[in-house]
Amino acid sequence: MTWLGRLVRRTRAEAELAAELRDHLERRVTDLVQDGMEEPEARRLAGLELGGIEQLKENCRDARGTRWAHDLAHDLRYGVRVLGQTPIFTAVAVLSLALGIGANSAIFSMVNGLLLRTLPVQDPSRLVLLNGGSWTNPLWEQVRDRRAAFAEGAAAWGTERFDLARGGQSEFVDGLYASGGYFETLGVRAILGRTFTPADDRRGGGPDGPVAVISYRWWQARFGGAADIIGRPLSLNRARFTIIGVTPPGFLGPVVGRGFDVTVPLGTVDLFRDGPENALDSRSWWWLDIMLRLKPGETIEEATRALRGLQPQIRQATMPQDWRVQDLESYLRDGFTLVSAAAGPSELRKEYERPLLTLMAVVGLVLFIACANIANLLLARATARRHELAMRRALGASGFRLARQLLAESLLLSAAGAVVGLLFARWGTSLLVSQLSTFRAVVTLDVPLDWRVLAFTAAVTIATALVFGIAPALRAARVDPNDALKQQGRSLTAEGRGGLGTALVIAQVALSLVLVVAAGLFVRTFATLATADTGFDRDPVLIVTVDAQHSKIAPADRVASFDRLRKAAAAVPGVAHAGASFLTPASGMGWNNRFEIPDAADLPEQERVVWVNAVTAGYFQAFGTAVLEGRDFNDGDRAGSARVAIVNQAFVRKYIKGPSALGHAFTREGPPGSPPTPFEVIGVVEDAVYRSPRDGKPPTVYLALQQRSEASGEPVMASVNIVVRAAGTGSPMLLSKSLADVLARVDPSVSLTFRPLAEQFDALFVRERLVAVLSAFFGGLALLMAAIGLYGVTAYAVSCRRTEIGVRMALGADAGRVVRLVLGRVAWLVGAGVAVGLVISLWASRFVSSLLYGLEATDATTLTGAAAVLATVAALAAWLPARRAARIDPAEVLRNG
Amino acid sequence: MATPRSDIPQGTLDLLVLKVVAQAPLHGYGIAQRLQQLSRDVVQVQQGSLYPALHRLENRGLLAAEWRPSDTGREAKFYSLTRKGRRQLATEESGWRRLAEAIGLILANAEGEIT
Repeated sequence: MTWLGRLVRRTRAEAELAAELRDHLERRVTDLVQDGMEEPEARRLAGLELGGIEQLKENCRDARGTRWAHDLAHDLRYGVRVLGQTPIFTAVAVLSLALGIGANSAIFSMVNGLLLRTLPVQDPSRLVLLNGGSWTNPLWEQVRDRRAAFAEGAAAWGTERFDLARGGQSEFVDGLYASGGYFETLGVRAILGRTFTPADDRRGGGPDGPVAVISYRWWQARFGGAADIIGRPLSLNRARFTIIGVTPPGFLGPVVGRGFDVTVPLGTVDLFRDGPENALDSRSWWWLDIMLRLKPGETIEEATRALRGLQPQIRQATMPQDWRVQDLESYLRDGFTLVSAAAGPSELRKEYERPLLTLMAVVGLVLFIACANIANLLLARATARRHELAMRRALGASGFRLARQLLAESLLLSAAGAVVGLLFARWGTSLLVSQLSTFRAVVTLDVPLDWRVLAFTAAVTIATALVFGIAPALRAARVDPNDALKQQGRSLTAEGRGGLGTALVIAQVALSLVLVVAAGLFVRTFATLATADTGFDRDPVLIVTVDAQHSKIAPADRVASFDRLRKAAAAVPGVAHAGASFLTPASGMGWNNRFEIPDAADLPEQERVVWVNAVTAGYFQAFGTAVLEGRDFNDGDRAGSARVAIVNQAFVRKYIKGPSALGHAFTREGPPGSPPTPFEVIGVVEDAVYRSPRDGKPPTVYLALQQRSEASGEPVMASVNIVVRAAGTGSPMLLSKSLADVLARVDPSVSLTFRPLAEQFDALFVRERLVAVLSAFFGGLALLMAAIGLYGVTAYAVSCRRTEIGVRMALGADAGRVVRLVLGRVAWLVGAGVAVGLVISLWASRFVSSLLYGLEATDATTLTGAAAVLATVAALAAWLPARRAARIDPAEVLRNG
Repeated sequence: MATPRSDIPQGTLDLLVLKVVAQAPLHGYGIAQRLQQLSRDVVQVQQGSLYPALHRLENRGLLAAEWRPSDTGREAKFYSLTRKGRRQLATEESGWRRLAEAIGLILANAEGEIT
């Protein structure tokens, strides 16, 4: 029987023990009576021989190792009763612990999901990733064909947002192009149908045509888990695929933080990107991630060495065409490295690792502050229960036993807090994960309540109980039994509870200050970024992304089609201006070129790489960016006319000498062998943000979208943005319906996506906003708890010093003096706490500086501001008890004590 | 009862209990009686220490217990030796014999030296 089994059968064991001893007594009595003894005398003797029956039972329990369980059950039952007697105290304690423990569990769930969990695939420890971003398909084919030398399996994938719509407004699903060996390498089997194999990975589709494997989640959500899903057609980017399998529930692709619902063979990309844009043959289209499965027992170092051995052949066979000689040399030299991919590659992880660890520290401090509060409350309670504890001591309970009793109560509080906290955590994590998604990437993060989270919560719960319970418990162990015999006397001065309580309050104030400083830093970082001057108006602008990739429009006709769409958009009622551009600011994409600029010929070549965008007339008006000199583009700037450019002020400052840039010419470097393209500056515009306010407003060159043509060697991209400025003040999103109607009438085959510019901008700061909101919330919580703690300690001190204060007042102290007396002590506590907190903040600043923007981690304004906030809150918290002290009636005190 | 009665040495109670139970399954009272008889009333077994010892041995898996009808008509808890208990008994028995022999030897020699 295990101790657990025995614990469960405790009642039965107790009954058996009693029966066994009774049996012994009966037999002894019978024997003694047979020997001629009178029965009452026999009974007395038998009992005597056995010793005290209860003591004997206790010894037997000890011998069986169940005594602690017996005692624990007793302690817990008693604890529940005691806590039930003070429901308000219990509720406050449980609630603050629930917040503290819940916050810790929630953030830890995120840490677990993002940083600790391995991919839900077979033997993830043998998976490695070819380090260094993305790779081309020719390079992948080389790696795949030579993999036997360094790996057991190899897989490659590229991400894609597949458009499910057959026309008009797009409906996207996140998907993957994956190599034929992808599922086998990962070790993922279909739960329905089959996964695809290298046989299916042929250009344009294998023997079964283009096939698709879908995720379990999507099968449930979109198809209602239909049993006949296998063989159903699926329209992706307007091409017809056949669903051949469903992957297991936990598997959402190899990238942590993203969920890919549709996976199709790499070769099917041929259906969409034909001709010059063919992704499979291009040696300079970098779009694949390459993952390898090591052979059993092979180390990453061994595999890297083997791969490096083949590097010259692989690189030589995949040299990009039209690269400059020096760039090709560095291409050949750049050594391959492998990194472990057990946890899966993840952009999300890179972005959130540090914020999450910072938040983990923040919630840890919050919990500690909560613990300090509860410890203080328990200490006050222990003083109130002194008589009870002393009585139990006097009746024979050991100090250890009393300490254990109090610890059991602490454990009960903290366990109740943990149960409620886990509910908070469940809700909090799903809220957090949903906040991470942006228009660019839907974040899917599996954050299960797995054994790690539960073990963490249990550990935190026990540690919490120990932290806040140990001091009251130790104090209880030292209670003097003689106190029970004394009348509860009164004394003139406060009892010696000061030391520990004082230290706790100082610690609370100090840690609260640290959290308020952190909140201040993060909130100001977010505010600085979110309100940064961008050089254009965000709120009235709507971005309509027009994708002609899968439309009927021939590449040569794209410019004309886009122009028709733009003009149609400009004519929609409610639209003030409309323009078109290749890129939009803060979209996550960038385009740069190297220019030869006569005035800046002495600058090194990397200094002459400038951000570029291609725009049409109306773009600057739509954005509200002023044309300061010269003119905007117009219909006269067309294919074949003299090439023109508009530059911004930053460009003029950096590259142009002389008062005006107008009329200056510069050239753009083309690929080796082709002649550079000359441009003439016809206008200068205001500076504007290009990728993010973090990068400021960089020099930018705007080229005329309508001057691009196949003939001049500049293919026209399949996708442009029509930027629309709303005339009214309402959300520009209100225009989307009428725009969709109008644009569909002009060309029903293009796909459309609508997004306000403001939303695109907000997506840049998701991380900063999240950190700011959470740190502000926890900072506020810490402040509240510190205030409660301060209030409690001050109120307690006042009640202990009632008599003393009464006597002082009787001797002539006025109310102001009494208030000063009370507040003086608080000021001392807060001053000490703030000083300690400032030191900690300065020390901790180094860990958060990389998360800040626009201010130093040791920012003086933030530090003094936080100290001021804390001092104000402390003054408020202490004011109430101080006022009560001032209202003590000396006569009443002297009469009644 | 003129013979002086001494408490049994520490730690030997377990051995005696195992030895007694090895002959036939017995209930607690029976074991106490048997111990008394076997030691010819020389050794005083505190009945209060017998039951904790039984429970300890049961807990260590050396004894197995079973409730069975007995001569009184009531069910009684009968202890019997497990396989593990039997091994333990053999080790302890030979250990004890060696120790007793050694002590006897030392006592004999020491006497010789003094004279």
